[in-house]
This record gives sequence, structure tokens and C-alpha cells, in this order.
Amino acid sequence: MMASYNHDTVRDLIDGRLPWQSTRSIMSQYKDDDRFFKYIDILQERVTFNDPILLPIGEHLYIVAKQGEPQGERVVKCGCGYEFGHYTQNWKLKAAINVRDEEEEIAEIYPGRHSYDPDWMEIREFICPGCATLLEVEAAAPGYPIVFDFLPDLETFYRDWLGQELPAETR
Amino acid sequence: MNDASKNETMTFKEQLLEYDRKFRETGCYAGITELKYREDDPLRYESLHTKLRSMTIAAREMARSISASPGVREVGEMVVALYTPEGDAISLSTGIMVHVHTMSRFIKWMIQNGYEESPGICPGDIFANNDAFIGTVQVPDVMVVVPIFYEGELVGWAGTVAHELEVGGITPGGDVYLAQERFTEGLFVTAEKVGYNDELRRDYLIRLERNLRMPIYWMFDDKAKVAANLELRDQVKELIDDVGLDYYKRATREFIEEGRRAQLSRVKQLMVPGRYRGHTFYGHLTEGKPGILPLSDGNLLYSIPLELEVNGDGQMHLDFEGTGSWGYHSMNCTPAGMDGGLFVTLTQSMNYEGKVNDGAWLATDMNLPLGTWTNPDRHTVATATSWALLLPAFGIFQRLLSRGFVSRGFKEEAFVGQVNSPMVEMGGQSQYGDQFGMALFECSAAGSGALGIKDGIDTGYVGWNPESDMGNMEVWEQGIPMLYLGRNITADSGGPGRHRGGTSFTSTWLVHNTDELTIATSEHSSRVFDNAGMCGGYPAPTAHRHFTVRNSNIQQIIDEQKPLPHELGNDPYKSDMERLVEGDMNVIEGPHIDKPLQSGDLFAHSYNGGGGYGDPIERDPLEIVRDVENGYVTAEIAERTHAVVLNHDKERNAWHVDEDATASLRKKTRNGRLNKAVPVEEWIESERERVLERDFVTEVRKMYQDTMGISSRFNEEFREFWRLPKDFVM
Repeated sequence: MMASYNHDTVRDLIDGRLPWQSTRSIMSQYKDDDRFFKYIDILQERVTFNDPILLPIGEHLYIVAKQGEPQGERVVKCGCGYEFGHYTQNWKLKAAINVRDEEEEIAEIYPGRHSYDPDWMEIREFICPGCATLLEVEAAAPGYPIVFDFLPDLETFYRDWLGQELPAETR
Repeated sequence: MNDASKNETMTFKEQLLEYDRKFRETGCYAGITELKYREDDPLRYESLHTKLRSMTIAAREMARSISASPGVREVGEMVVALYTPEGDAISLSTGIMVHVHTMSRFIKWMIQNGYEESPGICPGDIFANNDAFIGTVQVPDVMVVVPIFYEGELVGWAGTVAHELEVGGITPGGDVYLAQERFTEGLFVTAEKVGYNDELRRDYLIRLERNLRMPIYWMFDDKAKVAANLELRDQVKELIDDVGLDYYKRATREFIEEGRRAQLSRVKQLMVPGRYRGHTFYGHLTEGKPGILPLSDGNLLYSIPLELEVNGDGQMHLDFEGTGSWGYHSMNCTPAGMDGGLFVTLTQSMNYEGKVNDGAWLATDMNLPLGTWTNPDRHTVATATSWALLLPAFGIFQRLLSRGFVSRGFKEEAFVGQVNSPMVEMGGQSQYGDQFGMALFECSAAGSGALGIKDGIDTGYVGWNPESDMGNMEVWEQGIPMLYLGRNITADSGGPGRHRGGTSFTSTWLVHNTDELTIATSEHSSRVFDNAGMCGGYPAPTAHRHFTVRNSNIQQIIDEQKPLPHELGNDPYKSDMERLVEGDMNVIEGPHIDKPLQSGDLFAHSYNGGGGYGDPIERDPLEIVRDVENGYVTAEIAERTHAVVLNHDKERNAWHVDEDATASLRKKTRNGRLNKAVPVEEWIESERERVLERDFVTEVRKMYQDTMGISSRFNEEFREFWRLPKDFVM
């Protein structure tokens, strides 16, 4: 029989608050195929905006269908409502960045023998300009282009995998 | 004509080509478009699969007790598998499931290269291989296979792989770090017939005996492998007696086709179609170290980008375009090795409940650009420590899959990934006065990356063996001339995050009863992270320093009953070695390659932790209390990285969260972040100047020169990102 879990169980599971035995049991079961929209409902309750979430792409990061103008436009938003632009563009380019490439700043996280060599490597922190949440950390050699983590194929996902209609974009 | 009678008239090679053709024409393994047996009688069908799987597991467990190697006995570095006559994996035991398709390549290679005619493939024959260009990951992964004949017909192969602890290379141990070409990697067995009539040839055993520093490991392991194969072969034949040959042949092929379909549907169930990208790096520090041959290019830096395309039909395409060229070092990999990396990931991230077999291989494909370390264009390239690059590479794959799991809502499956964990390898004079050589496999229990819902596993995980076990110290002490002074959790070795990466451990040894102990550690990234965090989590620090003390006053410390150094300690600026011991202290960066040690010297080695998940200042302060009290995180990192203020109750040695101070520190941290940070577009403008001026250290500049030269796509993307002129060269 296909597994299915109620809203509270899924919420506690994704928050890591379900007792380990229950979590483990869920992990060992066949997957609950109705998870996605239950997950979206839970996330939708937590964000500060009303635009419907189409797809989460990280912690606090969502592709949403805008309710305001241009209506239906699929943009990336932080849970706080900060907007990073169209999902086909790398959201990181609209973020704030702090680069740890000096000894003192490195030592805040990687002191002494845990440190890396800033001539070879830097830590790039991508921060939400709206709420200062640390959204992503890149460890890269100096000069390495910023990576575009994920470009989902939303049409195929909704139409073929979920069997649902994807709200249209106006343009 | 049914399949069975048709096969009898074909050579093995024709049969193999026939199955390839059927797959090409139908898109289904062996042309099986319907899972007939599964649908007609699922219980009979599943029962056969369960029996085959339990036979492989039982054969492995039995073989482990024959082996003399603590790598196999304690750590379980072994796998037993069953293949079709054409060399496609049907079922595997637990253990190093890396080898689903590596052994497959070995069997297919023999068939394609006319082994049926010479040296012949007959009942009772035993074949062995450790050549990664034919089909394994690296020299120490020695595989032994035997054909299974039933009433004169080849009906399959039984195969076993174990990781050998000594292979007779330029440096002692299994992962021969100093090898810079094939010719220094150790003893090669290149798809050879090493036995007949179910027995290993005497001349083969003599070759092992005379070419290895510690032949007992490989020799007994080979005996264990033969025993496992014969056990599996005989059991399979008995099973065929029961179920009938036609049923066996069709059902086992249906398992593979089912495995292929299961892989595609699992992708559609857990992932989101689209393009995923990530990268990691690997630093290699050998400049000026003793023993480096003239071919070596000194220090180098690798970038490893990975693009994963998930198609609408569930097919996954991995693309390593943009990574660097192979080099004169031991860390290159072959396509077979990369298959190993693929299965390390798939068996743990997707195939955990289904049928682990070659079906999953058919449902994924990889672009391994020719001439890069992933696919060297000559077979004399060294691959002795290929895990060095392939493990970080497939750690990226784990994070890309996890991005999909997070998007889809299956956060409990999101896993920040495996981390490379350097191994201590050694040789010289043993504590018994003999010559010895050995890889100390306790690295098989490092820290894992965090999960999407919880912390990573502490001191209990490596990517290549999901049954990770570090082995008992006492067992290792029997094999090496060193005594453990301690094995300790390394505080702050897990990447910070809302869920932190698993922590690793550090071992500290006293060299004992030897005049000459050569230590050459392997698979060691230096100066850069070869792992990463996810969704706001940080990478785990790379453990790239070794601590030695020569001419120590340890005897005096013991005589005076003063405190011994049991660990490096929690002060990242001054180790316990430096604090408690007098002598010639040496801190070696990168792999430890140095002059031999002797009795009374000290040595300390740390393994890697895993990357973190989520913003560290969202971590539950109570979890931080637990971390600090148990030594996983220091109070300093708790405050600086997680913004948690703790009070220490000295009397009870307990820690408490100062909730108000924590709330205020977290608020201050958020404000501080925004004050310090700049808009990314602004940063790009200033960095662009640096790129235009090529203002990078030699290793970084060389890395760009190499990757931009070997990949026109990377070259274009690099120039486009930084808006560089068309004629820009690094």
C-alpha cells in the first residue's frame, strides 16, 4: 500500500522534529507520492507573502508565481519576501555577498589548523538582502565564476511528473 | 528457437554483441520489453532474487573469516557479486558496492578480447584483475572472478573484490600515493587466468609472495575470494537445479531490466527535472617533498565542476566538462573508476530498496572528457589513489541529487555528501623485526555530510563503504609498529550549519619497537575544501596537516608520570603535542611524505568531517550545548559561528544557554552580515579587475590555463561570466 502522512507528520519530519524511530521508519518505507503538495502547503504557511510557491529550490528560497505585476511571473523569492528576479536567472546575482579571504575572517569559522589558504580558495557567503539569512555558501578558487545551482524544468515537472497544470506566465 | 538453444550456438562474444544490439533496438535490457515472470508469478520471481542476494551476502561473510587482512575482516572492504554470461551485474552483497559495473567491465573486456579462444574460459578457471583501464577503481581493488557453467553452458560469473592493504608500489600500502606513472603503482594482474580446476596457480602465488611487502594480505584475500566465488557458483547451480535453467536465465535478466526501470521511476519520484550544477576543488602539495620524481609538476589545484541533467523520462546525464587534465600523479581515474563513484552514490541515494544491479547503469550516462583526470587518453597514467578526485566529484553528485530531494519535499533523503578521508599507509620494519607494509584502514569511519533534517554521522561514515567501521585499535596495533595514545573526536571538524556535518576523529600514536617506519598518507587535499556545505551550511575543514615529534622526551614523561598527549586537543593554534612534549616538532602540510620515524617518535593524523546544511545561526542552541558538552564543537565556534552564548558551570562541568544573550547575538550577527556584505553585482565588478590582471597564485593560474585549454565550454562560460575580451588568455 502506498504510504501517506498527514500534514503534522510531514511538517515535523522536514523540521527534523519527528522522533528518530518514526523518521527512520518513514525513510525505510516506500515514499509517499502525495508529499510534494503537502510540503508546499506547509512552506506556504511559513512565508510572508501570498504568491503561490511553485517549487522550493533551497532553504528559504522558492520559485513563486507572482500575484502582483507582472502577474504569474515566475520569480525567486526568499521566505521574507525579498525578490531575486526570474527563476531562469541565477538568484545569487541579486544577493549580497561576503567573501572570507582574510585571516581574521577565516579564523571566525576555521581557526588555526582548520584554516584554508586564501590564495587558493575563498568562502563566498550569499546572503538575503532582506532578512540576512545565509542562503548558500560557495567554496571556490579565487576567480571561479559563481555557480548557477539549479534551473528546473518546471513545465515538464508539473505536466508530466505531477500531472498538474502549471499556472501560465503572462509574458 | 528459444534464448537458451540460440545461445549454445553463439560464441560468448557474439552473445555479448547480441545483447548490446537488443538494448539499442528496444531500449530495454536484453530486449526484455515486458517483465513477464514478474507479472506472472511475483512471489517466485522475488524469491529467486532474495535467494541470490542472500547467497552473495553469505559468501562474503564466510570469506571474511578466511582473510588475514584487518581491512577485510574488521572493516569489511569486500563485495561478492553475480553476473550474467555477458558480464552484467544481477545481484550484489553488502560491502563495497562500488564494483557493480567495474567487475562488469572486467568480464566484458575478457570476452571482447577473445579470451574464449585464448587463454580459454573453462569450468574451474579463475581470473583476476586490478587494472583500472580494464575494470576496477585502483590497484588495491583486486577482483577475482570464476565462470559458472551449467551442463556445459556458460550461465554466469561469480566475482569478488577486496581492497588489498599492500600492493608493492613505490610507497608502501595499497593507495600508492607517490606513484606518478603506472610503472610505480605496484603489482598489476591484468585480466589474467590465475587458476584452474578451482585452485590458484602456484606460480601466481609465488609472484605475489615475491613482489609484495606483506604478501599475507593479498594471498589470503585471494583465497577468500576464490572460496566466496566457488560457494556462490555452487549455490547458484543448485538453485538452477530447482528453478530450471530457462527460468533462471530469463528471470535474472528481468531483474536487470527491472533495475533500469526502477532507477528511472525513482528519479521521477524523488527529483525534479532540470539542470543542476555544482563544483568542488582538490589541492595537491608535493613540491619539495622527499621522493617526488622529476615528472611531477609540483603543487597543483584541480577544479571539479559537475553538471547533472535530469530528463523528463528520468534519465540522468552527468557531465564533467570543465575539469582538468590527467597528470603525473596517482589521483587520475578511469571510466571504470568513475562507474565506481556513480554506484557509490546511487546505491546509497536511490537504489537502497530496489535491485542493485547494472540496470541503474543503463539508466544513467556520463560525459567523461577525454584527456581529463576522469578519462586519461593513455593507459600508463597512474590511478593508484583515484579516490582522491572521484570521491569529491561524486560528493557533488550527492549534493545535486539532494537539491532535487529538497525541492521535491523529501528532505529526509537530502545528504550533503561524502568527504574524502585520507588514509595512513606505512611500511619499513615491523615491531616483530620483519619487513612489512600496510594501509591503516581506520579512515573508513570519518564524518558524513549533514542530512536535510539532522546532523551528519559522527566518526562512522565514508562514501565507499556504507558499512563503515574503523576497526579496533588493538587489531591495528597487531599489524603496525605503533601504539595508540588516543583516538578522539576532532572538535569543529564538521561543517557548521543548522544541521552540522558529522565530525571526524584524530589518532595519535607512539612509534614502537622499530628502527624504520615510513609513513606515506594518501588522498589528502591541501589548502582547499574538497567538500562543500548546502543551503547555507559550510564545508568541513580539510584535515591537511600532520604532526610528528622526533627525538621526543616521551620516555621521560612516562617515567615521571606526566600527562601524555592523547590528542591534538581543542586549541587550534597549539596542539597537545606542542604543549606536552619536547623534541623536534614538525608540522607537515598535505600528504605526509617524509623521512622514516623510529621508536619513541610521535605521529598524529586527522580524518575529515562532513559539510553542514542550512544557516548555522538557525541551529537549535540546545543542540549546541550537547555539541560542546560532548566535544563535537568548541565553545568558541559555538559563539562565533552559531551565535550561541553559553555559560559554563565549572562545578558541574555543565553548559547552559544564555537565551537573552543568544537572541541578541543572533540579531547582531544578522545586522553584521548585511553591514559587511556587498551586492553581488558590485563584487563581480571588482573581481573582474582581478581576473583581467590575472592576479592569482601560480597554482590557481595554472588550473585556469589547463581547464580553459581543455574545455572550450568552460573557456566560453568563464569569459562570458567575467565579460572578458574574446582574446583573453589566462
